[in-house]
Parts: sequence; C-alpha cells; structure tokens
Amino acid sequence: MDVALSKNARRVLRTFFGLLVVFLYAPIAILLIFSFNDSDLPTFPLSGFTLRWYHQFLNNADLRGALETSALIAAISSVGAVLLGVVASIALVRRRFRGKGAVSALLLSPLVIPYVVFGISLLLFFHAAGIPRSLLTVVIGHIVISLPYTILVIVPRLTQIDVSLEEAAADLGAGPFRTYRSIILPLIAPAVVSALLIAFTTSFDEYAVASFVVGTRVTFPIYLYGALRFPNRLPQVIAVAVVVMIVSLVVVIGAEVGRRVAERRLDAVA
Amino acid sequence: MRTRLATPGLLGLPLVWLVVFFLIPIGIVGAYSVDALHGPEIFAEAHNVTFAGWTHFFHSSVYLGLFWKSVKMSLIVSLVVVALAYPVAYYLALSGTKRKYVLLLILIAPFLTSYLLRVLAWKVILGNNGVLNSFLAWTGIRSADHPLSQLLYSRFAVMLVLAYVWVPFVALPIFVSLETIDRRLLEAASDLGASRLQAFLKVTLPLSLPGVIASFLFVFIPTVGEFVTPSLVGGPSGYMYGNQISDLFSTGFPDWRTGSVLALFLLGVVTLLTAAFSRFLRLGETASA
Repeated sequence: MDVALSKNARRVLRTFFGLLVVFLYAPIAILLIFSFNDSDLPTFPLSGFTLRWYHQFLNNADLRGALETSALIAAISSVGAVLLGVVASIALVRRRFRGKGAVSALLLSPLVIPYVVFGISLLLFFHAAGIPRSLLTVVIGHIVISLPYTILVIVPRLTQIDVSLEEAAADLGAGPFRTYRSIILPLIAPAVVSALLIAFTTSFDEYAVASFVVGTRVTFPIYLYGALRFPNRLPQVIAVAVVVMIVSLVVVIGAEVGRRVAERRLDAVA
Repeated sequence: MRTRLATPGLLGLPLVWLVVFFLIPIGIVGAYSVDALHGPEIFAEAHNVTFAGWTHFFHSSVYLGLFWKSVKMSLIVSLVVVALAYPVAYYLALSGTKRKYVLLLILIAPFLTSYLLRVLAWKVILGNNGVLNSFLAWTGIRSADHPLSQLLYSRFAVMLVLAYVWVPFVALPIFVSLETIDRRLLEAASDLGASRLQAFLKVTLPLSLPGVIASFLFVFIPTVGEFVTPSLVGGPSGYMYGNQISDLFSTGFPDWRTGSVLALFLLGVVTLLTAAFSRFLRLGETASA
C-alpha cells in the first residue's frame, strides 16, 4: 500500500496538476495566438493569419533601441554581479571570520527588500549625491538586486568542491591566484554561467527599480510599460512579448539542463 | 607561505558595494523622512530635524488604511497561492512519479519569463473588449452588450494576476520540504495503525510546515509592496500602498518626506517579518534544490 496517496487521491492530484498547468500556460498561449491574428484588437473571433505585427516590431526603431539598451545594461550588470558574487561566495564558504552571519544576511538582504523601497532609496541617494540618472545608475541598482541570486547559485556548488584539491595545489607550489584560476574557477564554471544568465534575465526584465533611476534612454520593460497605455501599439507589443518569452524560456531551461550535465561531467573527472 | 587570499580582499568589494549602494541609500531615505535632507542640494546646510512626517503618518487614516488594505490583499494572495501550490508539490514529491523534475520544471518555467509580459497577458484577457469578453459574446454565452465589466481594473484583477505570477515560484520551497521527508516515517505511522489522513496531519504536514511558511513569506513580502501590477490592472479600487509610495515620488505632486516615511514603514514591517521567520527562510537549501 502506498502510505502517502490512495489511488483516488493520486488521480485527483494529477488532474489538479494538469489544471494548474493549463492556468499557467493558457495566458501565454493566448498571447501566442493573438500575435498572429490579423486584427488591431485582441478579440474573438480570430480574423486570419498575419506576420504584420512581427514586421512592425522589427521595424520599430524605438523598440529595438530599448531592447539594445536593456541588453547592454543586463550584460554589464550581470558580469558585475557575478564578479562580486564569486568573491563573496568564496569568502562565505572557505573562510572563517567573525560576523559571518551578519555578512551573509547583508549579502542576501536585497532579496527581501520591496523593490519600490529600493527604487526610491537609489533615487534619493543619486539625487543627494548629485549623480544624474543614466544607464549607469540602472546598472548600479541591478548589480545590487542580482548579487544575492548569484551567491545562491555559486555557494552550493563551492560547498561540493573538496577543499583537499586546493590544499594539493598549494602543496604542489601553486600560489593563491594560480589555485583559483586553475582549480576552483574551472570547477565552478557551470554555476558561474548559470549565475550570469540569471543575473542577465533579472536585469533584462526589471521594471520597478529601473523606473526610478532610468535616464533618458529607456529600457525594454520601461518602453513596454509605456506602450501598454496605447491600444494601437498592443498587437506589436504582443508579438515582442511572444519572442522575449520564448527566448527567455529556452535560455533559462537550456542553462539549467546544461549546468547539471556539465557539473556531473566535472565531478566525474575530479 | 601564503596560500590563501585574505578574507578582506575577497569580501571588500561586495560589502563596499552593498554599503554604498544599498545601506547608505536607505539611510538617506531616513534623512529625508525627518527633514534632514530635502530639495536638490547636496548634503548642504543643516535643516531642522523634525518628526512631523512620522507623526502625520501615524495619525493618518488614509495611509494606514491603505497599508491595511494592501496587507489584506497580499495575505489573501499568499494564502491562495500556497493552497494551490501545496497539493501540486505534494503530488510531485510523494506520488513516486518518475518524471518529477521535468514536471517541476514545467511548473516553474513561467516564473522565469518576463514578469511584465505575464501581467500584459492578463490585461489582454480581462479587458472589456478583451479575449474573455469577446469569447463569451462570440460563443453566445453572454450578450455583447453586457460584458463582464468588473474583470479588469479591480481589486480582483490585482489579486488574480499576483496569484498567477507567484504560484510557480512557491511550489519549489514546498516541494523541497516535502521531498526531504523520510518516507519511513510515513510507513511507521501506517504500521502503527494511522490512516493516510492521520499520517498526513500528524507527520507530513508538520514536517513540511517550514517550507509552507517560507513560501508564504516569499509571496507576502514582495506583494505587500507591489505597485507595478496594481498600476497596470488595478484601477482606483486596486490601488495599493506601493502605488502611493511611487506616486509620492512621481512628477505630479511629489512629497519626498511623506514618501520616505511610507517607504521606511514598509521596510520596517518587512524586516521584522523576515527576522521573525528567518529560521524558516533557509535560502541556501532552496537554491541548491
């Protein structure tokens, strides 16, 4: 006898799981359908197939500019967050020091601050310091909010790596930098890549904080938010939405699968 | 021989970054909230520090009322989300299905796509001339002259969208807490004559409670200060505390002192909650799942 679930309960739960998946994916499917619908309004009945909205968004210079701005900000801030995340994770896992609890609480605290509060904090800070809002101010904010995610991905991987590998390298005469470059970095590389992608997608999608510190060059989420107020731009926005969602799904799932495969191989070698 | 990088060298940069761009900015909000700073000048002349903003806030039925309204909305959302995610996580963790990690990924994947775009999807669906109403009219279920008009721009829309956004995310911590339960405990309960329901109530549920509490907080904390979803689908009746903060800093009628007070009050509440329940939040374990 199964002690956790009766046959009927299993059937009920399986159905419930199915319904929840439908609830989660139906809105995405609806966007997909209407991105090909030949009408200015997303309404039933459907009025024929078109690629017009995809053409329109590809030819929309503002939209492309916003996508490029977001990609640039996401690239810089993800690299910054991962650099900080790697050194912080090494310190947290490999070092003993006083106040470790407080330090790790501080490093993870951006996870639990309401973004509206962090957004206005940065706004007032830059204002008080006389720093004009620009791409740089958005990058600074995004590094803060991505940093804890990078630590959460890298720390578990570091704890799996045997300290004796580092000691062996040291015994063989490798200096600290050499040890990190040739032993630690290759072993944590899959986690680092995964952290980069998480930080990149976090930044690329981030609206709340950016809305307070963005300069004159708008990011993609800010463009999107603005476009939602104009019904005539809705169809192209739906088309962009479909593309962005599919790309991010493929990237994130691919990264997760890739990380697991790569770590398994590395562990087999080490 | 020095074989290790010094701890200050490793921790220096991340800590400096968070102190300068996270803690000091929050301190500056504090300065604005008591009038130690205002206007565009740089840390300039000393102002008279006053707690008028705080006194006003604690005597204002408008701001506190709005805060309670947001707390209530956010509580309902968190409860609904946990109630939806728990059975699903239970199914994945305990039914013995072989593809549980694939199914889990299917469940979580929507969370990894753009937040704003998932809100957009509901705006398209719920509008008066949206997908749902036009579908009902087209199929003749409801007359086109009488659309369901309370769908979009309502408190209901805000809570529906927030629940939609957060369900995939909370399934994970609940799944982890159920997955780590030793199955032999359930077998022992069964051998001792407990029914499945009794075993669930006395063994499984209490052991999974940390995951449930963590999930609850993971939803409650971001949603109580939410302003993006209510501004897109909420209308006046879905207006939340976070919108008020955001509006006090917008270009219309800015009031940075009051806005700072509101923001710090929210931060204080969230910090207290996090501290009180920190032992349930074991972030590292959730991340390594």
